Amino acid sequence: MLSLHTTLISRKQVTSPMMRLRKLRRKVQRFLFPSEVDHWLTVLRIGLALQILLYCLSLRRDWIQLFASGAHGLIRRDLAEAILSAETVFTPRLGWVVALGNHLGLNEYSILWFAWWCLVCAALCLFAGVLCRSAAVLAWFLHLCTTDSASLFSYGVDNFTSIGLFYLMLAPLPDRWSLDAQIRHLPPKDQRLQGFHRRILQMHMCLIYFFGGIAKSVGVGWWNGTSLWRALTRPPLNVISPDFLIDAKNILPVLGILVCLAETGYPFFIWPTKSRPVWFAFIIGMHVIIGITMGMYLFALIMVVLNTAAFGPGLIGERRLLLKSRLST
Amino acid sequence: MDNAIRQGIAVYLRAAGIEAGYGYFAPNVPDNYKIVFELRYADGRTEYELPRVGGAATGLRLSSLLDRIAEENYEPLRATFVKMLAYSIWQDHQDAIGIRAVVGYVHLPAPEEFECGQKESYHALFAYDFDFSKASH
Repeated sequence: MLSLHTTLISRKQVTSPMMRLRKLRRKVQRFLFPSEVDHWLTVLRIGLALQILLYCLSLRRDWIQLFASGAHGLIRRDLAEAILSAETVFTPRLGWVVALGNHLGLNEYSILWFAWWCLVCAALCLFAGVLCRSAAVLAWFLHLCTTDSASLFSYGVDNFTSIGLFYLMLAPLPDRWSLDAQIRHLPPKDQRLQGFHRRILQMHMCLIYFFGGIAKSVGVGWWNGTSLWRALTRPPLNVISPDFLIDAKNILPVLGILVCLAETGYPFFIWPTKSRPVWFAFIIGMHVIIGITMGMYLFALIMVVLNTAAFGPGLIGERRLLLKSRLST
Repeated sequence: MDNAIRQGIAVYLRAAGIEAGYGYFAPNVPDNYKIVFELRYADGRTEYELPRVGGAATGLRLSSLLDRIAEENYEPLRATFVKMLAYSIWQDHQDAIGIRAVVGYVHLPAPEEFECGQKESYHALFAYDFDFSKASH
């Protein structure tokens, strides 16, 4: 009797941690592979298409100056690529494209414009949803080539566009609103796969904001409003007149603290269903204001696109859409 | 092997756009850098020029370049950057015989200083002289 009791206890002791492990595994699985419809992917695809299109159009007049290796460039492209090679020789760069073009008998000027047109075409294809995967890979590759070859001129917007294009390229394309899916009557992709890709983007956004917020919170300037004042009066971001800003100097510390709060609190308040709409609106509002008051339109757009793709579709009744989608399949 | 792994990681970080941190304007907003070119002509004239770009989007990028130049610790590389910019200016003024490039930072007044009428001030950090007398016509 005693030995049976001991056996039961020891079994219970063994199975209990196992059960807990299984439970944990199921929880992790449910978190990483939720069922999702592909609306987030439509937002990401169209948003990045607009971003790339505006990137090309905004740099059109300086394209050769930025990327030429000869006398036409501000900083010769080959110097930027040599610096890049010190880090790694395998990163895509415009030098590869130019070398290939030269091999075919084309000059650098024609090749650089060819790359510009290819990027525009890839953006248009992404916008319409034609040849989605190929267009996403081409856009990612050429965008990476341009940012790496002009890395001395790059800033945050290029990193965020690369992040978005990288996720888009690997995502389960085409989404149901793309012309690819509409014309070829393709069935929707696996919802758990959609969920997994979206979850990775969501977690990445949380990391970005959390560490951005923590880094800002360390600086005194964000608590007393000096950093906001400096950011808004610093050329070429000085869109607003300092005379106007000085009238609002008392609210600058409040706005600075709100920026720190919005960014650091993002991973905590964006997940709960109740606080998500508020935090989402808070963050989108912050980026729109940055875009307008500092003239960083492309930066604002890419942040709005990434946030909307990551957390936007859930705000407009994701559960209802999911149910509808399950019923239809 | 170690180098191959390092290269692989570097390629992945660049490909995914995650090679940089996310501390934009953190912990504090950095100084604003500026480069001014003083062009000297054979007849003794001098002119001043700033780097010129075609659009506002490139203007933002130029600002990143100036930050990079001013914060570059390796002097020969910094001199090369400045020389390239000076050369791009000289191309529009090919009769100039020499260019002095001055890299400096712009001190922006704090709100209280601005209220007292203080304006932004320019402080030189480095200066380079480039001779184009042999190249000019």
